[in-house]
Amino acid sequence: MADVILMEKRGIPSAAICTDALKMSADAMAVIQGAPDYRYAVVPHPVSSLDADGIAAVAQLAAPQVMNILRGEAP
Amino acid sequence: MTEQQTALTAEDLVAAIEQCFENGWTDGLPVVPPIPSLVNRFLEHTDHSPTDVIWTMKQVKRGCTVQAAAINAAMAGCKPEHFPVVLAALEATVDEGWPGLGGWQSTTGGGPLLIVNGPVREPLGFNAKGNVFGPGFRANATVGRAMRLIIMNAYGVKPHALDQATQGFPGKFSLCIAENEEESPWEPLSVTLGHDAGVSTVSALHTRSTEHIDNRNTGDPASILNDIADTCGRIGAMTRRFRRVGVVIGPEHAQLLAKHGMSKQDVREHLAEHSGRTAGALRAAGRGEMAAVFQNTPGVSAFDEESVSGIDQVADDDLVTSVRTPDDVIVVVAGAANAGISTVVQTLGFPTKTIGTAVIRS
Repeated sequence: MADVILMEKRGIPSAAICTDALKMSADAMAVIQGAPDYRYAVVPHPVSSLDADGIAAVAQLAAPQVMNILRGEAP
Repeated sequence: MTEQQTALTAEDLVAAIEQCFENGWTDGLPVVPPIPSLVNRFLEHTDHSPTDVIWTMKQVKRGCTVQAAAINAAMAGCKPEHFPVVLAALEATVDEGWPGLGGWQSTTGGGPLLIVNGPVREPLGFNAKGNVFGPGFRANATVGRAMRLIIMNAYGVKPHALDQATQGFPGKFSLCIAENEEESPWEPLSVTLGHDAGVSTVSALHTRSTEHIDNRNTGDPASILNDIADTCGRIGAMTRRFRRVGVVIGPEHAQLLAKHGMSKQDVREHLAEHSGRTAGALRAAGRGEMAAVFQNTPGVSAFDEESVSGIDQVADDDLVTSVRTPDDVIVVVAGAANAGISTVVQTLGFPTKTIGTAVIRS
């Protein structure tokens, strides 16, 4: 989360993808980085144990959110 | 005592303790209320200015000043004369590298094991003998606790927010031992790490567990080391193929090994060579890809594609070692010389540059 916000501050359009189980930590870091309302894509937890089809399904959920964030629209 | 102090009641003390809870300053246990006159006694034990920043954690934009360290050491229950050890503990923990890499914030849930060496151990009351990982010794208990309170309060790394630990482990309350140099047949850890003999140091190893090896069944040195290697190579402790391991060898095991002519380096080499699991065992646990080689530093370059592509060719019966070199086996001798018991301390994958270490300046 910190990396993405720092990239945004340098003018590089960025989007973070976070699983729902880690939202608390992501929000805490956004506050520290001075972007308390920072928007990011949220997908269901877990991800690391998924097979290729599972990852593809998560990507389907994440992609439209990421595009909306990059366009500056509501995720 | 002043007239004002003698007028304090027991209720005042309880109220002060409760205030610390309400302020969010504790680890869940009561702390000593850090009144300024107490904190000042800690500051008398260092040449640093109270405003000196020991280390800044860039990702959370917070640093720990000497004064903040003193406040947390006071709250942890340290004596003022313990404060130089607390400062060295923080320096050593930072020196290892994990805090800057998110080790304190990780779901993996580890924390620093602090190891005290040198002549400060006896006058400051550090326990290096029986129950070395357990309770009963103020110096060990409070210096380790001070480190955790610094992480939580000075750096703001607290559970359910920046500390993402899935489960954590009991050592996150406090984990500080001293080396039993007097009953060790080998040079102390501090000397192995390059300090002069007789210099007091704290070393820090990021860990997630203490796992015992209770082997009082044999006098054969190779068998004892094979038993320890079995725990060093435990599959569940893997995050990447390679990791550093801490091996806290009980004096009885250490003396038996030395009696058979084994140096500390011999021990490290044996454990590096024999720690691991077969490729088949890794595959059976869903860790087949762990046979892939990861470089010794994190980052994009950590992934060795060539070795990954060769994983399917590793035969089921082949040993896949989990310790890259003998340098990644950290040997400490501690505990009582009353049974054949040692402990393995597991670390996080892709080791940082080395175990952290710092000199105690008292």
